[in-house]
Amino acid sequence: MQETSVVLITAKNLGKVNNTTEHEPPQAAVRIKDLYKYFGSLQVLKGVSLTAREGDVIALIGSSGSGKSTLLRCINLLEIPTSGEIHVGEEHIRLVNNRRKQTVPAEHRQVDRVRTKLGMVFQHFNLWSHMTVLENVIEAPVHVLKKPRKEERQKAMGHLEKVGIADRAHYYPAHLSGGQKQRAAIARALAMEPDVMLFDEPTSALDPELVGEVLRVIQDIAKEGRTMIMATHEMGFAREVASHVIFLHDGIIEDEGAPEYIFRKPASERCRTFLSRFF
Amino acid sequence: MEIIVENIPRFLNAAWVTIQITAISVFIGFCMAIPLSVIRVSIRKIFSWPVYAFTFYFRGTPLLVQIFLIYYGSGQFQEQLNAVGLWYLFQSPWFCAVLSLTLNTAAYSTEIFRGGIQGVPSGEIEAARACGMSGVLLYWRIIIPRAIRIAWPAYTNEVIFLLQASSLVSIITVMDITGVAGEIATRSFAFYETYLFAAGLYLVIVYGVLWLFRRIENRLNAYLRAESA
Repeated sequence: MQETSVVLITAKNLGKVNNTTEHEPPQAAVRIKDLYKYFGSLQVLKGVSLTAREGDVIALIGSSGSGKSTLLRCINLLEIPTSGEIHVGEEHIRLVNNRRKQTVPAEHRQVDRVRTKLGMVFQHFNLWSHMTVLENVIEAPVHVLKKPRKEERQKAMGHLEKVGIADRAHYYPAHLSGGQKQRAAIARALAMEPDVMLFDEPTSALDPELVGEVLRVIQDIAKEGRTMIMATHEMGFAREVASHVIFLHDGIIEDEGAPEYIFRKPASERCRTFLSRFF
Repeated sequence: MEIIVENIPRFLNAAWVTIQITAISVFIGFCMAIPLSVIRVSIRKIFSWPVYAFTFYFRGTPLLVQIFLIYYGSGQFQEQLNAVGLWYLFQSPWFCAVLSLTLNTAAYSTEIFRGGIQGVPSGEIEAARACGMSGVLLYWRIIIPRAIRIAWPAYTNEVIFLLQASSLVSIITVMDITGVAGEIATRSFAFYETYLFAAGLYLVIVYGVLWLFRRIENRLNAYLRAESA
């Protein structure tokens, strides 16, 4: 059932995709086509395509160096793909070649605009350490979206309430635990009211006993019907929360499908080997 | 001893001159250094190179030579300066003193804040970009506030250095602490007492600067302090 909500087109998987859509299909929140990314001569992404429809929760799994993070970072242009197409909502991000034959965004304003629609949560939180938690949360809505500070403070307190650290609103990041920092970072991303949330291994830098509190918050957000794309090593979480799981290996989508498919009987031998390390 | 007591009003006036010259130079130098340091880290050589040349010159030559060049050197361009109406400024030792100190501290501070900018954790910059910040907004809200905090202790050093370097302006007849001390000493031959008193005055002013800058640092670094709540 959940497979129908996600359409993934790679040459390899073309036959498998179940593309029967009754009525109005939910709109694609993020659509990526034939993404290639080189770092110098190192090829990190070798033609990845994916579509996230509204409400999808996509988990990107795979070993370190498989390209999960790079793929995620290409979506909001923190990495500029060498070639390929990126659509976020209605916008097709235009990329051009500069004089040195590097791919660059055609219009930086467009990149900034698109980024405001994509909330990003980083592995290392990346909170602004010179601001309190509350200041971190209202910073971008007030200064990028130019929203009134007073309203944003109230909304921010709501977000902090939701992630369970409202009592830490006036603390500086240095005075928080890792789990609290990451929850603050999630509140910061939510404050932009993004169309899609991107999570880049949000629990990988946390002490094991702090992972749970962050995953619970992410799960709550997923339940609200938010579109999410998440690179993760938490297989249990991916199985429970994701509507679609993508297994990346060496820069290509090796296998993908509903969690029941990926975690029970994946066609890919590599995927089975990879998962056997977790279960 | 009487010589000192007699001349205390002159010394206090001189101390005020030293403070004025230093404070004005530090203020203008700071205002120049912040934008210059941003340009200095630009990837585009057309922008960063002139700033690099500026800092290279002012850090690479003695302050005394810079003062001489501006004060005495400008005399050779009297006609041209007169033509643009700037000669009355360059005639004044006070103006030349402030100008050379300002340019000197601007150069050093630019390099100090460049270090601060490069020390801003890349993750925090990335997070700002991911929220749609770029350009001036990104610098103004995230990078510069962080860079100033990182560079502040080094910058404090630079201000104290400049305060002491300001004693050089006495050579172009500015009556700062050193200038007044020199005059009194050569008249009375009480070199030891007058210069010791002058040194004491500098110490007091330096203590004041340290106190002020520590206060600013504590305020800037609230984010690092152990929580009080």
